[in-house]
Parts: sequence; C-alpha cells; structure tokens
Amino acid sequence: MKMGKFGKEFTKGLIISNPVFVLALGLCPTLAVTTTLDNALGMTLAVVIVLLGANIIVAAIRNFIPTITRIPIFIVIIASLVTMVDLQFQAYVPDLHASLGIFLPLVVVNCIILARAEAFASKNPILHSIADALGMTVGFMIALLMISAIRQTLGTGNLSVFGFHFFTLPVLGEQPIALLILPPGAFLVIGLIMAIFRRTGVMKSE
Amino acid sequence: MNELIVIFIGMALINNFIIVRFLGLCPFFGVSKHLGSALSMGAAVTIVMTISALAAWLIEAYILIPFDIEYMYIVMFILVIATLVQIIELFIKKTNAQLYFAFGIYLPLITTNCAVLGITLINRIEGFSLSGSVVAALGAGAGFTLILAMMSGIREKLETANTPKSMRGLPVAFLIATLLGLAFSGFGGMI
Amino acid sequence: MSAKNTLKKFYPVIVLTAVVAISVGLLSLTDNLTREKIEWQKEQKIQRLLFDLFPDMSRYDLENEIYIIYSTEDKVSYAFVAVGKGYGGEINILVGLEDENTLKGISIISQVETPGLGNRITESYFTDQFAGLSADEVARRRDGGQVDTITGATMSSSAVIKAVRAAAMEKIKLIKDREQGK
Repeated sequence: MKMGKFGKEFTKGLIISNPVFVLALGLCPTLAVTTTLDNALGMTLAVVIVLLGANIIVAAIRNFIPTITRIPIFIVIIASLVTMVDLQFQAYVPDLHASLGIFLPLVVVNCIILARAEAFASKNPILHSIADALGMTVGFMIALLMISAIRQTLGTGNLSVFGFHFFTLPVLGEQPIALLILPPGAFLVIGLIMAIFRRTGVMKSE
Repeated sequence: MNELIVIFIGMALINNFIIVRFLGLCPFFGVSKHLGSALSMGAAVTIVMTISALAAWLIEAYILIPFDIEYMYIVMFILVIATLVQIIELFIKKTNAQLYFAFGIYLPLITTNCAVLGITLINRIEGFSLSGSVVAALGAGAGFTLILAMMSGIREKLETANTPKSMRGLPVAFLIATLLGLAFSGFGGMI
Repeated sequence: MSAKNTLKKFYPVIVLTAVVAISVGLLSLTDNLTREKIEWQKEQKIQRLLFDLFPDMSRYDLENEIYIIYSTEDKVSYAFVAVGKGYGGEINILVGLEDENTLKGISIISQVETPGLGNRITESYFTDQFAGLSADEVARRRDGGQVDTITGATMSSSAVIKAVRAAAMEKIKLIKDREQGK
C-alpha cells in the first residue's frame, strides 16, 4: 500500500533510525544549540526547511543528475537553501539568528542532509523522500528537545520557550547545575541518554 | 606576533574546536582506537583547514566584498572546500598509493567535517587578517589533533576495561569527552 | 551523430552549470528581498535601545560613530557603541552619557555568551552599576573601580567593563572636542 510505505519511511526516522541517538549524525549542532529550548526549536525549523527542500528537489530531478557531478550538485542545492534560510532568519528573526550563530550556516555540512540526499532522495520518488525528510526531522527534533529540556531546566532552573515561562524549579532555581549548560554538560547529557536508551532496550547496544 | 600567538592558543586550547565549540565531532567519535590513525586524521584535517582558511579569506576579500555578494559566502566556502578535498585526494592517489590506502577513505568525509567549514566561518566573523586566519586554522587543527590523539589513547586503554554493556562505544566516549571538557575548561583563564 | 556525442560528453557539466545558475539566481533574488529588511532590523534594535536609555528622545543622528540624541527639551545627549571580546564572541554595548563626564547607563546590544552564566551581563543588576559613573570609575573593584563582576561570569563581565571603559575614554574626548569646536 502506498500509504503504508509512506508511513514506514516516516516512522523509521523517529526511533529505529533516529539520526542523533542511533545514526549519530548531526552531532555538532545537537550539542551546541541544546542550551535552550528556543535554540533547539529554531535549529529544527532551519533543518526541516533545508532537509525537506533538498529531498524534494533532488528527488524531483533525480533522473537528470549525472553520477559524476552528483555530489557538487547536492552541495550547491543544500548550500543555496541554507543561504536562503540564513538571510530570511536575519531579516525576520534576528535574535534567533544571533543565538544560532555559526551553526546556521553549518547546517550545510549537517551529515543528515547530505546523507539523505545521497542515500535516499536520489533513488526514491518525491512522496517517499518527503516522508523520509519529515521522519528524520521529527527524530532530530525529539532528540534536540529532550537534551535541551534537561540542560535548560537543570542547568538554569527555569524552563521557558520564546518568552513564555513554564516554571522555575524550587532548589535549582537559585543554584542550578551550571555544568549542564557548559560544553562538558552537553556531552554528559547525550551520553547518559544514549546509555539509558540502550539499557532499557529502546535502542540496541554495541 | 603577540596577537598571532594569542589567536593560536585561543583556537587550540581555550576555545578548542571539539571540546568547546563542538566542531568536528564525527571523526572524534568515529576515530579508531589507534593513535596512528588519529594523528593521520588530525594532520589531514589540519592541512585542509589551513588551505581552506586561506582560500576563504582570499575569496571574501577579493570577490565577495568587492562585488557586493557577501551573501554567497556559504555556497562559495563549501564549494572551495569540496574542490580542495577532491584535488588533495587525487594528488595523494597519484603520488603515494600507500598513503592513499592508509586514510584515503577518510578524505571525502573531511568535506562534511564541521571543523573545516567552521574555521572559515569563524575567521570571517572574527575578522582576522590573512595571517591571523591562517594561524587560527593551524591552531584549530592542532587542538583538534590533540583531542583526537588523547581520545584514541584513552579508548585504546578502554578496550581492556570491563565497560557495562549499555555504555559501550558511544556513551562512554561521551563521558570521556565530558571529562576532557572539564579539564580543558581550566585553560579559560589563560589569557 | 557528432553533435549528440558532444552533448553526452558534456552533459554532467551542463547540468552542474544549470543548477549553479539557477541557485545563484534564486539567491540573488533572496538577497534583494531581504537586504533592506536586515538593515532595518539593525536600525530598529539600536533605536529601541537608545529609547530605553533616553526616554525623552525625539530623534537622533549618527556622526562619526557617535549618536547625537536630541530630546524634547532642547537637550543634546550622546551615546556610542563599545565592542568587547567576550567568552563566546563579540559583545556590542550601547553606552549613553548623562553629560561629558558621567555615564547615563549601558545596554547590551548583542552578545553570544553562555546562557545562564555569561549572558547575565544583560541583566539590570549588572548594567545598572554603570549609571552615574565617570569613565575613570568604570573598572573592576579589584582594579580600583566601582563595578562588581558577576560570579560565574567573570570573563563576560570583565570584557564589558574593559570595553565600556576604553570606548568611554576615547569617545568622551572626541565629544569634548566636538563641543568646543562648535
């Protein structure tokens, strides 16, 4: 069934082939932007636009792409999409743009996007490529949100999104675990989450 | 001269690419447990970073700014890097087949290494001069290689340890990175 | 046929060139559409911060990197931007002057310091300290000045103090010259 295949391509990106926790792709932005939920969501938005756009375009012209020059073509398409997102963010959400810093342009070399273009979109029809992109993005988003929720809540004592303040923890509000907000903390959180997932059987150990 | 030393140390230790800036993580976690390959990888990345930083600076100064197409920086930088890696790969293949077999497979991966594009972006934002940019790239590469070497050494030892099943591989690597990061944060007050 | 063969041989390059051409075209278009808006955003930000520092501002001018603020009561005030090197990157600070010798206050325009730690430099309990100080008094307490650094954000707050002091020293001199030249 066509719907069944679409569904399958979508759900694989959520857990079994979760880009961050299982495939270990796109680690650089994951650790860098998970200091606050705002940044995590902003990065997800940028990635979904680029990944979706790249997958659709590559799938659409896949029969015209010569094998020899395919990598440069992928790169030009992805880089152009990233540039467009960079300019639009600068124009309409400058604070988010400043927060994301160099990690917005770095979406170009986000392994997830190039990998999906090469491994999937260049060989599959548009609809399936869309499902693949969406699945990967949601998996990416889940990973980012999990990590940033932990880092922001325990690391600053507050949880807030785009100015909307959820709550402040009683003890940690005054003396948060600052380590989690700092770079070493990022490694710690993601490592522990992976270990817990493997221990509880959600993901396989090595 | 003083300024160049500060830039070098800043990029190598204080704002280390892997441990502080989170750039170049893929090879960091994927690197084998051998010190030899870690050093080779580090050297290769440093060379690509330095030449890319040079090329990017020239492009920014002589093409992007004069023609008012600054917004093309992302596309141009990554194309330069991809081309550079291709050229280096061909060069090594033709001149030293042995070397090519040693780490030829890693080379294409360097194109998507955040550290390479990263140094060109950082140089651009910091507004370094030509010499500053090159020194920054060398420093960044040196710091990158240092961490890679440390990590491979530790992982080599870890092979003989009895790691809990769920921690084996990536999770424990992340914990090691945490400790390395804590240690390196001591460099913060250096300058 | 010879023509067909040539086409086949150069096909990869033709496709690549076509893709590049289309991309460049689209990017150029995007740049056109967004360039003004981006400039406008920067202006808006400065304007908002100037207004915060000088609530009775009616309009302002920028001359030689010094903001000249005209208020409703015919008073002329000055402000300028100080740039500091923080932990995460550049910190841009708007410094407002009460008169030639005293600061009115500061506002952080942009910073990329660590959230929860370094970015506390934006909080009023830190920035309020600068109000009413003379340029000379802008220094850390341990250096004989009147400003306390933030615990856990020493680098970030020190960078701000250093930048404001340097900029104040430089700009106040320029302003005094300008006033005398009038």
